[in-house]
Amino acid sequence: MVTMSFELVFLVSIVAGLIGAMSGMGGGIVLIPALTLLGLDIKHAIAISIVSVVATSSGAASAYVRDRIINLKLGMFLEMFTIIGALAGATITVVVSAQGPLFIVFGLVLLASLVTLFLRRHEDWKPVAHQDAFSGWLELEGSYDDQATGQTVYYHGARAYFGGPLMFGAGLIAGLLGIGAGALKVLIIDLAMGLPPKVSTTTSNLIIGITALAGTSIYLAAGLIDPGLAAPVILGVVAGAFIGTRLLVRLTNEKVRRFFMVVLAVLGIEMILRGVGVIP
Amino acid sequence: MTAPKGVAAHQPSGAKTAGFGMEVLVGYILLTGVLLSVALITIGVAWSWLATGHLGLEYSIAGMTLFRFVLADLRQIFSGAFRPRLFVDMGIAALMLTPYVRVFASMFYFAIVERNFKYTVFTGFVFTVLTYSLFLR
Repeated sequence: MVTMSFELVFLVSIVAGLIGAMSGMGGGIVLIPALTLLGLDIKHAIAISIVSVVATSSGAASAYVRDRIINLKLGMFLEMFTIIGALAGATITVVVSAQGPLFIVFGLVLLASLVTLFLRRHEDWKPVAHQDAFSGWLELEGSYDDQATGQTVYYHGARAYFGGPLMFGAGLIAGLLGIGAGALKVLIIDLAMGLPPKVSTTTSNLIIGITALAGTSIYLAAGLIDPGLAAPVILGVVAGAFIGTRLLVRLTNEKVRRFFMVVLAVLGIEMILRGVGVIP
Repeated sequence: MTAPKGVAAHQPSGAKTAGFGMEVLVGYILLTGVLLSVALITIGVAWSWLATGHLGLEYSIAGMTLFRFVLADLRQIFSGAFRPRLFVDMGIAALMLTPYVRVFASMFYFAIVERNFKYTVFTGFVFTVLTYSLFLR
């Protein structure tokens, strides 16, 4: 049983949801370090965070699906791999007794996300020239209307035999650390499978919901989810994400990106230092 | 987020995209689930606040599968034992059932409407694994 101030947890969750929505990386990546700083042990923080990930990803995906940007077939193919990964990852977190390694892995994922954010500065996309037979068999193709240019973009996915197994790894990290691991998923769909950034970002959102649910089932069964603590976190993260999505239009991408890179660097180093035992 | 209006959906020759019905269905399932969950949790928190004058509920639950969690909620509903905790629990259960229902609906859609055997099997696999992890442990 963990006792924490409702107001404080709610406030922290709003900020996490806000930053998560504005950076496109989800709330967990900020929420978990913040909750551990407030004194919650990392396993409970991971379990609570993954419940809130179900909420934010479902909320965001509901809008994208109706905008017809998400590729449902792509999402459903990749989900087969992420849920297995998430179940494995969450089981590891529940079983492992030492908390230090979790802090270190979390810190490394934060720093890796920083690198990803840096590398994805330019959103150019080259359409896939030749679709392999397997991806063709999976019917990985589609089109969406780009609201910025007013054009309809047609695309094909490739290398699904590569993207699928990689998604197992993304699911593993998501379940292990209680985050959406959206950056990793987007990277795989983008780089390995050659889909347009808009499609990879939105489809990853849909997959995150199912992946997080698989992880949540393990944490619920382990008794790590305190509803009393989950309540302010879910409400806060959803409110923050709602505000964040609307704020996003008013701020330039570059400012958001720089701010978020600083946040990732500070939290990443802090988590690693805590994991190693340099700071308590 | 507004859907692009007045744009005719041109599909490239030979392209097979999931039908319009599927996207609307999935979108509304997700939206309804999240809104319902947030509403239930808000009711629970607000009720507890009005009753005790203290913001926040402090309780934890023993480890259990979602099935038992939902069953415990239903038992309380039918015995009329309404209290703030029940609403928070129902909110969390609604949230967890949202993606689950989404997968079930997709499976149904691929099987009945699209008659796409491949994707019926894929979503069936996801649904089976989720059912196992949520209910049968």
